Amino acid sequence: MLLLQNARIASENSPTLLEGDVLIVEGKIQDVGNNLAIPEGARVIDARGRILMPAMFDAHVHFRAPGFENKETITTGSEAAINGGVTGVVMMPNTRPAIDSAAVVATVLESAERKSRIPVYTSGCVTKDRQGKELAEIDGMRALGVKMLTDDGDTTSDPAVLLRAMQYATEFGMFFASHCEVPELAGPRSLNEGVMSYRLGIKGSPACAEEIIIDRDIRLARAAGAHIHIQHVSSKLGMETIRWWKSRGDVKVTAEVAPHHLLFTDEHIGDYDTNYKMNPPLRTQADCDALLEGLKEGVFDLIATDHAPHTPFEKAQDFISAPNGITGLETALVSLYHFFVRPGKFGWDLVVKRYSAEPRRLMGLPVPTIEVGQPADCVLFDTEAETTFTKEFMKSKSQNTPFINQTLNGRVDMVILGTEILLER
Amino acid sequence: MARKDLLDIASLHREEIEFLLDQSTSFKQVFTCSVKKVPALEGKSVLMLFYEPSTRTHTSFEVAAKRLSAEVTNFNVAHSSVTKGESIRETVETLQAMRTDYIVVRHSRSGLPGMIARQTKASVINAGDGAHAHPTQALLDAFTIKEKFPDPRGKKVLIIGDILHSRVARSTSNLLQKLGVEVAYLGPGSLVPKYGPETIRRFTDYDAAMAWAPDVVYLLRVQMERQDVQFFPSLREYHRLYGITTERLEEIRQRGLYIMHPGPVNRGVELCDAVMDYERSLINNQVENGIAVRMAVLDWLTPGGESPRSEPTFGRSAAPLPHFTA
Ligand SMILES: [Zn+2]
Repeated sequence: MLLLQNARIASENSPTLLEGDVLIVEGKIQDVGNNLAIPEGARVIDARGRILMPAMFDAHVHFRAPGFENKETITTGSEAAINGGVTGVVMMPNTRPAIDSAAVVATVLESAERKSRIPVYTSGCVTKDRQGKELAEIDGMRALGVKMLTDDGDTTSDPAVLLRAMQYATEFGMFFASHCEVPELAGPRSLNEGVMSYRLGIKGSPACAEEIIIDRDIRLARAAGAHIHIQHVSSKLGMETIRWWKSRGDVKVTAEVAPHHLLFTDEHIGDYDTNYKMNPPLRTQADCDALLEGLKEGVFDLIATDHAPHTPFEKAQDFISAPNGITGLETALVSLYHFFVRPGKFGWDLVVKRYSAEPRRLMGLPVPTIEVGQPADCVLFDTEAETTFTKEFMKSKSQNTPFINQTLNGRVDMVILGTEILLER
Repeated sequence: MARKDLLDIASLHREEIEFLLDQSTSFKQVFTCSVKKVPALEGKSVLMLFYEPSTRTHTSFEVAAKRLSAEVTNFNVAHSSVTKGESIRETVETLQAMRTDYIVVRHSRSGLPGMIARQTKASVINAGDGAHAHPTQALLDAFTIKEKFPDPRGKKVLIIGDILHSRVARSTSNLLQKLGVEVAYLGPGSLVPKYGPETIRRFTDYDAAMAWAPDVVYLLRVQMERQDVQFFPSLREYHRLYGITTERLEEIRQRGLYIMHPGPVNRGVELCDAVMDYERSLINNQVENGIAVRMAVLDWLTPGGESPRSEPTFGRSAAPLPHFTA
C-alpha cells in the first residue's frame, strides 16, 4: 500500500495538473482525491510539488541482444529504461542474428521475460536478415506477439519487396515501421549535407535522402492498404510530407520524432564529436524548429529515443569510422522537461500523450492513467531537482550521449509498476 | 599564446598567420644565403606519419625539419590498410613511448589528426586529412601570393576544380579570406558544393569566372582515382570546360594572371603543357616556399601541452540552442 500525498498529476488530456493524493493498493490505483485518509500500514510519500504521471513507453530502442551484448543487454537496457522513467519498450530487430523469425523472437522474448523488470516487446524484420530480398517469416513472428515490422537501420531498398510484404502482412493486422534513407544518396557518414559537412570535409547526407523514402513508403502503404509508421524523422520537409499525407486521410500514417532531433543540430558536431553522430543525422535549427511544430501539431504521434548504445571504444574512433547512434532512454524525460516543459514550449500533457500513451496505442497495449481502477504504472518526477548524467548514474552499458557529465533540471524520483517500486531515489 | 598543434586554418587568428608568414620570410632568407641549417630544433624529433602517400608534402616537411636540425623518423604506414581508430590509438601509444616531439600526420579521414592530437603531448601538424584541411599548404599558398602581392587585400583568387573533395580549397580559401583576399570557386556543379561559405562566389562557367577578373588562377588537382563515381563525364570534357587549354593560356598571358597548382599536375587535364613554361606560373615557387613555411610552423609550435577539444557549439547559432545549466 502506497499513499502519494499532494502530487501534481499529469494526464494526456489536460494541460493543467490536478493536485491530490493517490492511493495504490496491490498494484492498482484505489483512490485519487484530496486529503485521503491514511490506511493502516500504508507507506506515505510526501509528493508535494512533484509530478505524478503515467510511465513512459519507448517504441524504438536497440538493446543489441542477441549478438552485440558488449554494447547493451536486455538487462542493462531495461534498467536504463527504468532509470529514465520508462516501463515498456519495443526493440529493433537489427541484431545478430537479426530478429527475423519465430525462433529468434521466441528466444529474445524468453530472455526478456527473465532479464527485465519491465515488459520488453520486439519488432521483427521485414526481410530475412534485413537483406531486403526475401520476406522474413512474418506470420510466425505475429503468433508470438510481434506487431511491427521494420528493417530499421536500413531502408527496405526494393519497393517491390516492401509492397509485397505490406500486402501480405497487413492481412494479419501487422504494420510497418520505416527507417527512411536512400543509401545511394546518403553514403555511410551520417552527417547532414550542409555548411557543417563542407566545413568538416565529410560527405554529407542530404535531407532529400530521407524525404524521398518517407514519401515512397507512405505511397506504398497507401497502395497496399497498410499502416505505415515513419521512424525518427529528422527534416522539415520530411515532417511536412507526413503532414500532407495525414491531411489527405486516405492512408494510415503514424510517425515518431526523437528528442535529439528536436534538440541538436549539425553545428553541435563541431569538432568531430561522435556523440552527435547518428542516423538520420542532426540537421539544422530550421529543421529542429519544424520538428517541434510537428510534435505540437500532432504530425508526430509519438516521441521515441532510438536508444542506440555503442562502446566507448567504438565511439572513440574518428567520425567516419565511428558507428551511428546515441543512447536516449536515461536522458529523454529529463531533457524534454529541461528544454521544453520548463521553458513553456509545451506542457506535461504533450509528454504524457506522445511518450506514454500514443506509443502504447501504436502497439495495441492498454494505456495507463492516474485514475481510480487503473493499474499502477507511473513515474514521480521532481521538477526542482537536477540530474547529472555521470557514468555512475547511467545504467546502460554504454554512455554515448552528448549529455554525458552534463546537468539538467528535473529528476526521475520513483518508478512504480504494479506492486513494485522499480526505482526510488 | 603558445600553440601545441596546427590542425586547421579556421582556428588560426589573423595575427598568428601574419607571424607565421613573416617567420617564413626569414627562414627563406636563411637558406637562400647558403646557410643550410639552423639549430632551432636541435635534439628534437619529428615523426612522419603518412597514411596516404604524398612524396611532395612528405619531402617538404622532412627537409624543413632537417634544416631546423631535428631528427626525422618515418613511421611506415603508407601501405597499411588498417586505418581504423583502433590501430590509430595503438600507433599513438607507440609514438608516446618513442617520446617524439612533433608528429606530422596525413590521413584520408577528416578529423583524424585532431583525434591524434588529443591523445598525445607531441605537437601534431595536420599534413592533410580527408577533405578537411591542409593548413601548411594554405600557408605556403598565401606566402607565394604575398611574394607577388605584398598587400594582398582586395586581390582575387579563382580556385578551379574539385572543391567538394579538396582540403586545399577549404584551407587556402579560408586563409586567403582572412588576409582580405577575395575568393571564388569554379568547377562542375557536381564538385562545387552549393552550401560552401556564402562569402565565396561560386561559378560553373569558365567565361563567367574570368569576367570576375581574378588576379590568380589556382588549379586543383583532379583526383583521377575518384573516377569510379562520376562527377563529370570524361577528363577530356573536364579539360575543355574547366582546364587551362592552349587558347585560354593565351588569354591568361595577355591579362597577366598568375597560375598556381598544389601539384602534382595532371597535364592535359587541369592544364596544357605550355603552362609549365609560362613565366607567371608559380607552381615551382609553391614547392620552394613550402619548406620555409613548414620550418616556420615547426619552429612556432610548442610540444608538451594538452590539445583542447573545441567547445561544443551550444549557443553559437542565432536561434537560442539548448544550453546546459552546468
Ligand atoms: Zn533507424
